[in-house]
Amino acid sequence: MIVICENVTKSFGSFKAVDDLSFQIPSGICFGLLGPNGAGKSTLIKMLYGANIRSSGTMTVLGRDPNVESHIIKKSMGVVTQDNHLEDALTVYENLVVYSQFLGVPKLTRHEKIMSLLTFMKLDHKCHAPVRTLSGGMKRRLVFVRALLGDPEFIILDEPTTGLDPAVRHLLWDKINELKSFGKTILLTTHYMDEAEQLCDHLVIMDQGEIQAEDTPKNMIERYCPGYLAIIESEMGNPVEEVDIWIRQRLSGYQIRALSLEALHQYLKKHQLEPKVIRPSQMEDVFLEVTGRELSQDA
Amino acid sequence: MLDSLVLSWRLVQRHWLVYRKDLFANILPTFSDPLFFLVAFGLGLGAYVDQVEGMSYSRYMAPGLAMSAALFTGFFETSYNLYVRLVFEGIYHAVLATPLGPKEIVTGELLWVAIKGAIMSFGVTLIVLAFGLVDARYIFLIPIIGAMVALSCGTIGVFATSKVRNINQFQTVYSLVIAPLFYFSGIFYPISSTPQWVQWIAQLSPLYHGVRMAQQALWGENVLEALLVHGSILLVMIFFGLFVSYKNIIPKLQN
Repeated sequence: MIVICENVTKSFGSFKAVDDLSFQIPSGICFGLLGPNGAGKSTLIKMLYGANIRSSGTMTVLGRDPNVESHIIKKSMGVVTQDNHLEDALTVYENLVVYSQFLGVPKLTRHEKIMSLLTFMKLDHKCHAPVRTLSGGMKRRLVFVRALLGDPEFIILDEPTTGLDPAVRHLLWDKINELKSFGKTILLTTHYMDEAEQLCDHLVIMDQGEIQAEDTPKNMIERYCPGYLAIIESEMGNPVEEVDIWIRQRLSGYQIRALSLEALHQYLKKHQLEPKVIRPSQMEDVFLEVTGRELSQDA
Repeated sequence: MLDSLVLSWRLVQRHWLVYRKDLFANILPTFSDPLFFLVAFGLGLGAYVDQVEGMSYSRYMAPGLAMSAALFTGFFETSYNLYVRLVFEGIYHAVLATPLGPKEIVTGELLWVAIKGAIMSFGVTLIVLAFGLVDARYIFLIPIIGAMVALSCGTIGVFATSKVRNINQFQTVYSLVIAPLFYFSGIFYPISSTPQWVQWIAQLSPLYHGVRMAQQALWGENVLEALLVHGSILLVMIFFGLFVSYKNIIPKLQN
């Protein structure tokens, strides 16, 4: 096991950001951590490398307790931080030299290491460019390189593709899959459910500091909203639930779900409803179902 | 312990790399401020002052101004600059994901400040030496005294950084703590000529003890006595400052 958390709690005063959380991350998988903003994901991640000190519970990362031995854990860990936090005054190469020194990369192999990772992330042509001249996607790729400098066994990706264009997202997905194929263990947080579905072997949905659901993406869909969805606009009237037909009111209209495409079409025909979209259930539907956030005030 | 110091040293190397990118703008005020003081007061006020402590007014001010460079380096680096790194640039969020922890970061910051204080105060001293205002025999002591002054004032800055709620509040610390240190530490007049209560307050100023040591060293008089008396008081202040600043800044870095 790369990570073992048992009954982990983190309080800030009377507020519990993480509440009695238990989970494990086995070696070599991509583990997804989903949850609305403020669910406690970032606090949990920071506890894994000792940047937050947990209030109670036990935690081991790579076999050590991050409250005590984070400096050793962090030698075998790479973090793609949620915000880039790059050294804007320095060039791409200088940024990586600084972090190589922090990670203790030997001077003899440093140049080779930096260049091979820049090539891996398709950023070698920007080697001597000042960071402030890079595009958003290039800065993000540089953060990936920075996280990989220490050849980490365990990689944390905290919202790695937020705000990036589809081309960069796909490039990063490709690289994440490549890292997985090298046997790296990955912890990924994201607000993009398609990303979670495509990349993760195992998912946890967190809300209000607690785990609300945990399984593989496929099993989660099977368990929480199997089948097919039709989305109709509110003006079409108020659809009613029937046997094996589920209705959810969303901000965008109604979702009608049935176990099979055939059953869904039958229902729509019977009630003379014109759907905007018909599609299979996705992780996004599971997320809304589990967190019930869409209509709540703090969404 | 050694590993931890090595990591802190790497942060010093990072600071130097960033600092040298804009070397001229960074270094200019450290040298220009004391020199303008020396010219303005030495030539202006000096024309009305015959002698202070048996020497010209410029010669009197020179050692203290060298120490003022350490004061300002120590304070500004650990207040505004540290706050910017911490809050606006947020670079420590990324650094904390490397083997450096909060302790290594604070130690690195203070090491950097001590080194800068040594270099800056020594630089100003070399300039006043060129004008023939100081005695060169004990000049080698200046970087050490400068480092001690910068470190003690650096702990004030670190403590302030742990307490301020926004960057504007440093102005209050500057007005109420740093400016009085500058004016009441015997740079511009001997503290011994002030009322007793001012003398007592001056004893609490780390800069005063640094200035006294620098003065004796650069005037070449009673050097050992000044080092023993003021040096030991300043060391106690540094240890107290380190204790208080670590205790308060580490929780801020960790949450």
